[in-house]
Amino acid sequence: MTGFVDLYTEADTFLHRMDPRVKIFAVLMLTLLALIISDLLYLLVLLVFIALLIALGRAPLSKVGLALRFVVRVMVMIVILWPIFDPSGSPVLFTIGPIKITEPGVWRGITNAVRICCLATVWYVLMFTTTQRDLVRALVKMGVRFDLGLTLSIALRFLPTFGATVESIKDAQRARGMEFDKGSPIRRSKNYIAVLIPTIVSALRTADTLSLALQSRAYGARRDRTYLRELRMRSSDGIALSVVVAAFVLPAVAKYLLGVPI
Amino acid sequence: MIPGPRFSESQDKIVSVRDLKYTYDGGVQALAGISLDIRQGEYVAIVGGNGSGKTTLAKNIIGLLRPTSGTISIHGKRVVDQKVATIAHLVGYAFQNPDHQLFCSTVMEEVAFGPRNLGYSQDELERRANHALEAMDLLEVRDRPPFSLTLSRRRRVSIASVIAMDPQVLILDEPTTGLDMRESDDLMASIAKLNIEGRTIVLITHDMKLVAKYARRVVVMSEGKIVLDADPAGVFSDLDALLRSKLVPPPVVRLAYRLSSFGVPRDVLSPEELVLRIMMARGEGR
Repeated sequence: MTGFVDLYTEADTFLHRMDPRVKIFAVLMLTLLALIISDLLYLLVLLVFIALLIALGRAPLSKVGLALRFVVRVMVMIVILWPIFDPSGSPVLFTIGPIKITEPGVWRGITNAVRICCLATVWYVLMFTTTQRDLVRALVKMGVRFDLGLTLSIALRFLPTFGATVESIKDAQRARGMEFDKGSPIRRSKNYIAVLIPTIVSALRTADTLSLALQSRAYGARRDRTYLRELRMRSSDGIALSVVVAAFVLPAVAKYLLGVPI
Repeated sequence: MIPGPRFSESQDKIVSVRDLKYTYDGGVQALAGISLDIRQGEYVAIVGGNGSGKTTLAKNIIGLLRPTSGTISIHGKRVVDQKVATIAHLVGYAFQNPDHQLFCSTVMEEVAFGPRNLGYSQDELERRANHALEAMDLLEVRDRPPFSLTLSRRRRVSIASVIAMDPQVLILDEPTTGLDMRESDDLMASIAKLNIEGRTIVLITHDMKLVAKYARRVVVMSEGKIVLDADPAGVFSDLDALLRSKLVPPPVVRLAYRLSSFGVPRDVLSPEELVLRIMMARGEGR
């Protein structure tokens, strides 16, 4: 385990410059789009569009690979399991005992796997091109309470630190002769107590120190906050916004009002 | 310097490191070709600035990290072929931060955790734990929760929990960080006693005063390489190499340096020795 990886990569692309609020909204629109489209071909078009966005965001291949590893695993599972649990329609391809596999079932499995891929990758576009700080700033601007936003950003900020602590604790216990992958499942989960307790203690100590550090820098002295960098929508953000709204509204109207089968 | 047995070259090699290189996942090369032998009964200090590879070397020796290239063997058996738990029998490693390992509700249980993992009987477990508690002067707090103790005592608990496995070699990673002078002196005295009893000590530190006082061999690391490997006086006499490794000799050695033009020899390690040498120099002068 290498711990938590920040997917964000510094670059100067239109996606990086885009107002994070617009990005969050755009990603939400594309998510809804992936949910309403049920035709494999159009889902693939959407997937290509998302892939294009990832490429335009200049995400390094190593991080894309890391992110995709998880998605691909889920996709494989869906492609295998979907036809088994959804055997309606014909023709029947084959049967193994009580399991019946039909051709429409297989296609539905593939379609849903591609849909899941769209749903996941579109959020990766956001993660690849937006700093955690910008995300939190956008959420606060959109009405989330500041202290909740700060809590979220601190949590995100401390994930890698936390991962490193867990690794160090595991090493310390292994040096004391502990073997994590030995014994019965119950024995193994009991082993993790030796990691869990020092982790919790260390997290509480960090939280305690951090809250003192925040207080000592007058956190919460004023109710109204000012910001070093204000978020401002620019004309390019307006264009992006209208493009994604159109990308969602047109297919939605076509599908639900005009009855186009997409 | 603490009087202790001196060991010759022919003494048993316990740890043998050959051309060890280690590169972290992120591409940072922490060790750039290390060769080192550690013999039975030695007291070795591994010194070097932050990021010079001291801890990475220790973690490779006990098998927590797997070398990128090169070999490490303990008693002639390659570390990569063995489980960390097997190596823990022979080489104990006390981590820098004791809070990264304490989790039991009493000091006694904490110290017994290692030997329990190694599969000893209850009697043997208690014998070993009591021995370790005694060596680290912890018998009076054996039933207290380890987290309630001072940092100095928590550090002692973490060292005791390693000693309880009875390893031949004890690697201590900056054991005096955060301790005051008195605590640090007491801890080092306990460790020196372990060495006199025959246990091999590897002390990772950048406190040169400790090195001058306790170590009989000093390995200076810089940028993943060993730049000096000699006895303390020998290492301190190479001021340029030390400075390049972001290290400074202890004050008494630097004073002896300044006094060398008055006939005081440079290979002084303690204030007592310096006073003696000055007296001798004066005596000769008359």
